[in-house]
Parts: sequence; C-alpha cells; structure tokens
Amino acid sequence: MRNIVQVQDLHHTYLPGTPFEAVSLRGVDMEVAEREIAAIIGPTGSGKSTLIQHFNALIRPQMGKVIIDGQDLSDGNLDVRALRRDVGMVFQTPEQQLFEQYVGDDIAFGPRNSGFDATEVRRRVRKAMEMVGLGFEEFKDRLTFSLSGGEMRKVAIAGVLALEPKILILDEPTCGLDPGTSRELLCRIRELHDNQGVTIILVSHNMEDVAQLADRIYVLVDGQTVLDGTPRQIFSQPQSLRDYSLDVPQATQVMHGLRSRGREVRGDILTVCEAEEEICRCFGFAEGGGTGVT
Amino acid sequence: MIRIENLHHTYNIGQPNAVVALRGIDLLIREGEYVVIIGRNGSGKSTLARHLNALLLPTEGDVWINNINTKDAQHVREIRHTVGMVFQVPDNQLVATVVEEDVAFGPENMGLPHAELRERVDEALLLVGMTPYRTRPPHMLSAGQKQRVAIAGIMAMRPRCLVLDEATAMLDPRGRREVLDTVRELHGNGVTVLTITHFMSEAVEGNRVIVMDQGRTAMDGPPREIFSQTEKLRDLGLDLPPVTQLAQRLHQRHPAFSGSLLTVDEIVEGLCRFPQPVEVVA
Amino acid sequence: MSEISAFRHVTIGQYLPYGSLVHRFDPRAKLVMFTLLVATVTFADSYTASLLLLAVLLGITHLSRVPLRYALQGLRPALPWIAIFATLQLLFYKGQAGGQECQILWSWGFIDITTCSVRLVALMVPRLLEFMILISLLTLTTSTTELTHGLERLLSPLKRLRFPAHELALVFTIALRFAPTFAQELEKIMKAQASRGADFGEQGRLRFIQRTRNTLPLMVPLFLSALRRAEDLSLAMEARGYTGGQGRTSFIQLKAAPQDCVAVAVVCCFSAFILLHDFTALDELVVGTLGNLTRVAFSCVGH
Repeated sequence: MRNIVQVQDLHHTYLPGTPFEAVSLRGVDMEVAEREIAAIIGPTGSGKSTLIQHFNALIRPQMGKVIIDGQDLSDGNLDVRALRRDVGMVFQTPEQQLFEQYVGDDIAFGPRNSGFDATEVRRRVRKAMEMVGLGFEEFKDRLTFSLSGGEMRKVAIAGVLALEPKILILDEPTCGLDPGTSRELLCRIRELHDNQGVTIILVSHNMEDVAQLADRIYVLVDGQTVLDGTPRQIFSQPQSLRDYSLDVPQATQVMHGLRSRGREVRGDILTVCEAEEEICRCFGFAEGGGTGVT
Repeated sequence: MIRIENLHHTYNIGQPNAVVALRGIDLLIREGEYVVIIGRNGSGKSTLARHLNALLLPTEGDVWINNINTKDAQHVREIRHTVGMVFQVPDNQLVATVVEEDVAFGPENMGLPHAELRERVDEALLLVGMTPYRTRPPHMLSAGQKQRVAIAGIMAMRPRCLVLDEATAMLDPRGRREVLDTVRELHGNGVTVLTITHFMSEAVEGNRVIVMDQGRTAMDGPPREIFSQTEKLRDLGLDLPPVTQLAQRLHQRHPAFSGSLLTVDEIVEGLCRFPQPVEVVA
Repeated sequence: MSEISAFRHVTIGQYLPYGSLVHRFDPRAKLVMFTLLVATVTFADSYTASLLLLAVLLGITHLSRVPLRYALQGLRPALPWIAIFATLQLLFYKGQAGGQECQILWSWGFIDITTCSVRLVALMVPRLLEFMILISLLTLTTSTTELTHGLERLLSPLKRLRFPAHELALVFTIALRFAPTFAQELEKIMKAQASRGADFGEQGRLRFIQRTRNTLPLMVPLFLSALRRAEDLSLAMEARGYTGGQGRTSFIQLKAAPQDCVAVAVVCCFSAFILLHDFTALDELVVGTLGNLTRVAFSCVGH
C-alpha cells in the first residue's frame, strides 16, 4: 500500500523573530499508508494540533516536507480548495462550528462551497447523514440548535463527510461524550474505514480507543516523534510510556504489573479479552467457567 | 449534612415544553463522605447537583443543607458558603484577568477584610498546587490548570462540601489526574465531596456510589457492591471499568479469584497470590 | 492565521513591567493626569505650547523607560495617511487659523500655501504624536487590573448618583479576561470553516450582501459561544456568592502615596500654564526664527 501522507523532518515555529517565538515542531517524521488508521498521541503542547493543521494546508511547511496523495504542500500553486475536499478535518468539539438554522443546510455548507449542483449536494448530505446515523428525512429539517450535544457532534462530522474526503482527520472525536455515544461514534468511524476505504488519522488521549482502532501509532512529545509502531509494539514498552507520562489501557497495565513481579506473561496485550486469555493460559485457570483445573 | 426529601424537579413547569428531570429523590449525605454520582445522559445528575447550592429550587420536596432549607431566601448566601460547586468548562468559571484575583472573587463576595483575603488566596492556591502561577492570566493556562484554579476559587470560601459537576469531562488524562489528585487530598483534609461523572473509572475514588436513572436513584452503595451487579449496570446503560471487567471474567474462570476488584494493583496482587504452574496446560 | 495560535504566549494589554517611577504611580493619579494632559493637548493652540508639551511628554517617556519607538508604533500604519492629509491641508486649506491675517507664502495655480495652513499642519502633527505618546504611556505602564480598579475607585463617588461604577469595572474586567479566549475561538472557527471550503480571503469582487453572508459561519458560532459562556459564567459567579456590588471588599488595594499627589499637582499647574498663558509673543519669535532659517536654507539650496 502506498503512503498517502508523508511528513519529512517537519519544523514549525510560531511568531518567529518576535519575543513571543515558540517552537512547535522540531523535525517530525511520519507516514500513513492508504486506507490505514493512524493515531497520534502525546501530551498537551506536544504539537499534535500544529502537525495535523499542515495536512489540509491551514499551515504551510516552514521547513521540511509534507506530501499528501503525491502533492507537495510547499508548492505555491497548490489548489487548496481541492486539497480540502480530499482531506477532511474534524476539530475538537466540532459542534461549536455549526451555524445554519437547519441541520441539512449546515451539512450542505461544504459541498455547496465546492460548487456542486443541488442534486449532488442533496445526495452527499443524505449519504453523510446516513454514515453518522442521523436519518435523512428525520433530521434534515430539524433546528440545528435544538439537538442534543451528541447529535450536534454527529451533524458537524457529517458536514465534513459530505465532502467525501479520502483522508479523514479527527481531533479527539470522543471528548466530552458519555461512554455510550462514544462507543457508537467509534463504531461508525470503523465502519467508514472498512466500507469506504477512507484513511483515518486520529488524535486522541483515550488509550483504550486508540489500542482498538489504530493500525499504527505515532507518539509525539515536545514536537518530535519519539515512538512509532503498531499498538502492540507501543504498549508493550512500559518504561517508555511512563517516561512520556502516557496513559496505558488498564488491561495492559495489569500485564505490565504482572511482568514486573516476574510472571511470564505477554506484555503486548491490548484488550480485556486478550488479558483474560493470557492470564488463564499462564496461571492455568479453567477454560470457560469450569470449577477447577481441567 | 445534606438531606434531600422527595425531591422533584420539572423544567419549564406548566408549559408545553416541560421536562421532568427528578422524580422523587430521597438522600442523606453525611460529613466526610466521598460520593460519586453516575448515570446516563439525561438521568438527572446535573439537575440534582444544582439543587445542593440553591442554584435550582425544587418544584416539589425539600433540600436541607446543614438544616437550612434551600428555599429559605434569607440564608442562600450561607448555603453557598457551605456548598461550593465546580463546573464542566474550566474557562467559563474564571472571572478575573489574573489567577490570584480570580481566586479572591469568592471571598471578596463574602465581604472579608483585606488581610484575610490575602490569607485565603494563599492558602487556596497552595491547596491546589497553583502558587507559582498566581500572577498568570487565565488564557495562558492548560485546561487542567484552569480547573484547579476554579477549585481554588471555591476552596478559598472554605466550604464544608465540594460538588464537582462533570469537572473532568473536558480534560486530557494529565489534567484529569491532576484534578482527581487534588480532590482526593481535599477529601483527606475533611471536605465532603460529591462528584458527578460518566467516567466509571472515577467511581472507584469514592466510598459511596449512587447510580441515577431517569430522575431516580437506582443504586446506592460502596463501589465494590455496585460494581458486582454487572447485569443491572448494563441495563442502566453503564459499563464497568476495564479493570473490574477483567476481574469478573477471571472470577468466572476461577471462582477462587475475587471478582470485585477495582484497581490494577488489586488484580496484580490477587493474581500474584496464585503460584505460577510449572507445567502450563495446553 | 496560524500566528494567532501563539496568542497564548502573548500578554493582553501591552503592559511592560519596567518598574519605573511612572509605573509606580497610583493608577487613579495616572488616570487624572492622563485626562488633564489630553485636554491640554487638545486645546493648546500655539507653536510654543506645542513644543513645550512635546518636550515634557518626551521627558516623561524617558522617565518611564519605555522605548520611544515602542510608544509610537501605533502610529506606524497611519503614517502614509497622515502624510497625505497633512500635504492636502498644507496646499489647499483656505480658512482662518491663529487669530491673525493669513499671508500667502507660495502660490501656484489654485494651490496656496498660507501662514494659516502652515500653522494648521504644524500644530496637527505634534498633536497626533502627543496623543499617541499619552495613550501608550498609560497602557504600557499600567496593568489592566490597575486600570479597571483605578477607574472604579475614581468613579465610585458617583455611585451615590446611581452611576454603576462597580458594574462597569466588572464588565471591563470580564471583557479583558475573555478577549484572548475569543481570539483563540475565532481562529479555531475560521480554520474549521476554511476546512469546509469557506473563503475568507477574497473581498472586492463580492457584493456587500454576499460579503456579509460570508461572515455568518464565523459570527453565528462566535455569538452563540459568547452567550453560552455568559450563561455558564453567571452561574459560576452565583455559586461563588456574587449578589452585586454591595458588601464586597477588594483584594486589590490602592494606596495613594505622596508622590502621586505631588505629580498630579505638578501636572495641574503645568496644564493651567499651557492653557491660560498668552504665547503670542513667543510664537512670533519662534516663527521669525524659523522663517529666517528657512530662507537661509532655500538660498543655500538655490546655489
């Protein structure tokens, strides 16, 4: 699979040459393959927002290269409009950007800006709403601000999906949502990836979500990629994770705890199910609810 | 300390868009407790919280704070000095342009003399660990830091009870940890704590868990007891934290292993009491 | 656009904490002196007064340790306009100024440079400089906290006349507190809408209505956010026992020192002197000297 996103030695400084100068990125390298789900994790202030804003040309590379789908984003002749159709960006708490009175109109904002005709806009809006689980007929004429928080977030995400992007970037998609809505949203993101072949880049603090969804994780600390690999590779390094004060899924924490007590268990466990299996295997617990050792 | 009798609350009562939020709550909260209130969205958690400092008044029933009824308009100030509240969005609680002035806002409202204002601000900032940031403007702080300043602002009023209304929902893991550590310490110093959250993993912080559903209290007891009722929790739309899920599954596989464990350390300890078998059954 | 992100590193209100004598004056004293000097600059109407004022203000700037360049940087974007305006006035002003007959100094077609137009321009330019210096001095040497508290204290005697001094000060404080927050939010909304293809760059070609519609995706969310914040904040203030200005004490204490009274007294006297003294004699001296100098300069250039 070719790389749809390539970042090479990217640097960025805010307000250079002023007394308020602040270095945000110090040489970031990153690659995302087509149809992959990549996650970027790191503490606040590590440069995650700055990094992802390069992907749809909100920020241009000051030093280093960013190549999206073969296009070099340092190119002066870059068609920014077209890029923003291919790279959809969902910011943190996206429901704050809703402005149209009716749900359907707000979701149509993106396609309308792209210049599609009314039929095409309608088709896209319908498809986007279905993808997030808002029935087209039921919701398109609802008043935007009469919806619940979770519903408004879905409207905001649909607004980006209506552009039918190849790459979808989500910044903390489940921030502030209750567990039930969170889970539903992540399922739909998964579906989007599986059914439509969309490349997903996730920025998240929620380690359990990241462990389950991501194919590849990039750990960003202080403007640099300090770790990258599959979830199993990343989470099986307790010392590194502690150094960077990152949260680890609870199931993984248990395994690390056992290992530090000298028990021979795998350290690259990600889910409760896997932990259960591995512990039972290791400690000789019965298979499936028995009363003793088989 | 807090007594709630037959509390009902309906928003927009008597109007076509009326919403019943609370349907008869009876509750007694004693000094020194750390109560965690959990429930789905719409279960009435926030509505309940806002009755505790008279921000909302019951449409039926009574709420007594240290034997003062919240409907008693003369004593509302006293109630708000006794029960302090921290809200979900850190930014929207900070009033002043400088941290220490914001912390002073509450005590200023109490009409305290200047020397005491100074003392309380210093004390509160120390309690939450934000003393080095005293002269910073709020917009230069992280969300977790802002929330701690908000807590300091409340603690400067020296309330007996602290209510946190989804105070960690908008924070990243580090911010959440900072706030939880601060609250734990405050509880250790004798403050009664009431947290509203939808993070099940925060429920283990308290010594009492109340589960709300559709305006009523559905479950009420210590964390271990509540978490052992998996079925009921699932019906109420709640999930156990991964740690407890794991413990329960292991318990099913091997009944000698206790299923009501709440923390990672407890599971590790529990497992380490079992010898690792020399020969692993294939 | 991305530069606003770093806003969190920038302090609001441009306060430069140099700790000079001017910094240490009580904010009430500074506000009073500021008002007096603004009035003096506005009504001073002679060359000598203008020069005196300029000299005094430059002296105060020096005392405050604020770099002059910094104090005047607010004028920089307006410089071309000032130059154009001044030139137009110089060449085309045909009215009266200075209480004496206007003499034509130079003529060409319908362009007349008269003593009156020269006087107008010669007084306008220093005046602009002086205003700029005064405002900069006030905001660069006084923190926003001091300013709002100073203003509130000064106006509090008016509370007896139902003037809402406390409420006004609180409104200012909250506005200053949230200004950077709204700037950050505006930036975030701009980026979100731009990511959906909204265009905020193109002007000119679009008709007025179209351009106004274009701002809706920015204004509506920002407005709604402001309302939400206002609601949350008022709830938080209530929870912290706020019931209005009655019975509140203040964390910030303002103590007037002898140096403040002296400073205010000095400025009072100076202002009175500038406004009341008759400078016509001195003016003629100044004009005469400058006139001779100019003639000498022209004759040198001529050779």
